[in-house]
Amino acid sequence: MLQEGGSTRQKIEVRNLTKRFGDLLVLDDINFDVADGEFVAIVGPTGCGKTTFLNALSRLIPISGGHIRIDGQDADPKRHNISFVFQEPTCLPWRTVRDNVAYGMEVKGVPQQEIDARLEKILELVGLTQCAGLYPNQVSASMLQRIAVSRAFAVNPDLLLMDEPYGQLDVKLRFYLEDELVNLWQKLGSTVLFITHNIEEAVYVAQRILVLSNKPTKIKAEVKVDLPRPRNFLDPEFVRIRKHVTELIRWW
Amino acid sequence: MTAYREVRVRTPLILKILPVVSIAAFFCLWEFVVRSGIVPETMLAAPSTVAELFLVKLRETDPDGALLQQHAWVSIQEAFTGYFLSLAVGIPLGLAMGWFVVAEGLARPVFEIIRPIPPVAWIPLTIFWFGIGLPGKIFIIWLGGLVPCVINAYVGVKMTNPTLIQMARTYGASDWQIFRQLCVPSSLPMVFGALQIALACCWTNLVAAELLAADMGLGFMITMGRRLAMPEMVVLGMVMVGLTGAVIGIVIDRVEKKLLAGIRR
Repeated sequence: MLQEGGSTRQKIEVRNLTKRFGDLLVLDDINFDVADGEFVAIVGPTGCGKTTFLNALSRLIPISGGHIRIDGQDADPKRHNISFVFQEPTCLPWRTVRDNVAYGMEVKGVPQQEIDARLEKILELVGLTQCAGLYPNQVSASMLQRIAVSRAFAVNPDLLLMDEPYGQLDVKLRFYLEDELVNLWQKLGSTVLFITHNIEEAVYVAQRILVLSNKPTKIKAEVKVDLPRPRNFLDPEFVRIRKHVTELIRWW
Repeated sequence: MTAYREVRVRTPLILKILPVVSIAAFFCLWEFVVRSGIVPETMLAAPSTVAELFLVKLRETDPDGALLQQHAWVSIQEAFTGYFLSLAVGIPLGLAMGWFVVAEGLARPVFEIIRPIPPVAWIPLTIFWFGIGLPGKIFIIWLGGLVPCVINAYVGVKMTNPTLIQMARTYGASDWQIFRQLCVPSSLPMVFGALQIALACCWTNLVAAELLAADMGLGFMITMGRRLAMPEMVVLGMVMVGLTGAVIGIVIDRVEKKLLAGIRR
């Protein structure tokens, strides 16, 4: 198994991040760092602004204050490799599975040879090789999300943002895809910010959990998850952390 | 892997039989209504009379001055010239209006004013400008086809899934890339819809244009049928307009299905 959390180099630096919609303060002075190759989960009560938080980080929406730096430079989708896996499937229906996975790399201007090489590797890793030539309407819903995840990893992202990617899938499939996600992350070494409302999921996948407060959103607590992988849901330490995080969310 | 095998769905037998039955019934009823005298022959021609005239008109130019195929060919040329011109202008314009704010801001108001004017209303002006020759008719046909092209392309782009656009933005895609790689392909079903609708509009306006100003063409043939009090010629002209339109429609449908393999279920 890969050594986790070995790197201490800061990859992402968020300082005084603030977002207002008119008078409504949604994100209130948020500060945190993410190390290179770290897997961080973000949990919080419903409606606490998790999605706004992620949209601000991805620079999809302008921020009202503070800054987000990647490798010491202001985050910019055109300069940095930022990937975003959305809650709903985002496959392009007119592209095959393979071409969908390639899309991010095409936008980034990765040379065709490199695209082919990475495609081969990543499609194999997530078991999409067999259906590479199919169109999205020919594969299942979980497959669509795996395509989006593969596409996100394929650009070798500096920062991979995931917004409850498995929120709409059933429990069994979720476990399977979470394992797959952890596997991809370990093999490719990307820096991942994973938003979820499912605490168990957060404890299962992440090295560190940031707990958000209710609106206006602040980071309320930080919980380290230092458990060996593959993690066991019934491990007493796992259960303890899960309960701890649940308490944190409940106590607003 | 068998789980991903492609499955062919066959058209149920009933859907193959029923269209034949309905067409046959339609013609039988029509023939009966005329033959039995319910509708006098001076008002409507029976299908058999029309078929007879069809065969005659393939060989004889009398009494309207041209062979049937010459009329049809002239009409097809006019319609397609106008049609392709309306596609060439309308689709890019509609696509641009759907995505680029400047294009929408500039073109939309003018378009909204011109849109409600039926192309037939342009005929007098057209005659001033172009006379009764080919360019005038093409202009009318072009106007008729333009409106559905612009609207469908515009709506097609507007209907692009916003999450897809966000997805592309997070990868750093430029406006132009998003337009080309997302908006255009996702508008294709609507654009192909426009191909059909525009063709219908062009074809309709063709007849209107020829009714007023022409010396050859299917619309002209219909007018001649009226002048000569030959309902069978009127009906033959109408049937030819209908059949030709339907054939072109089928061709476009085929092309559409081929091109949009991934989008249509």
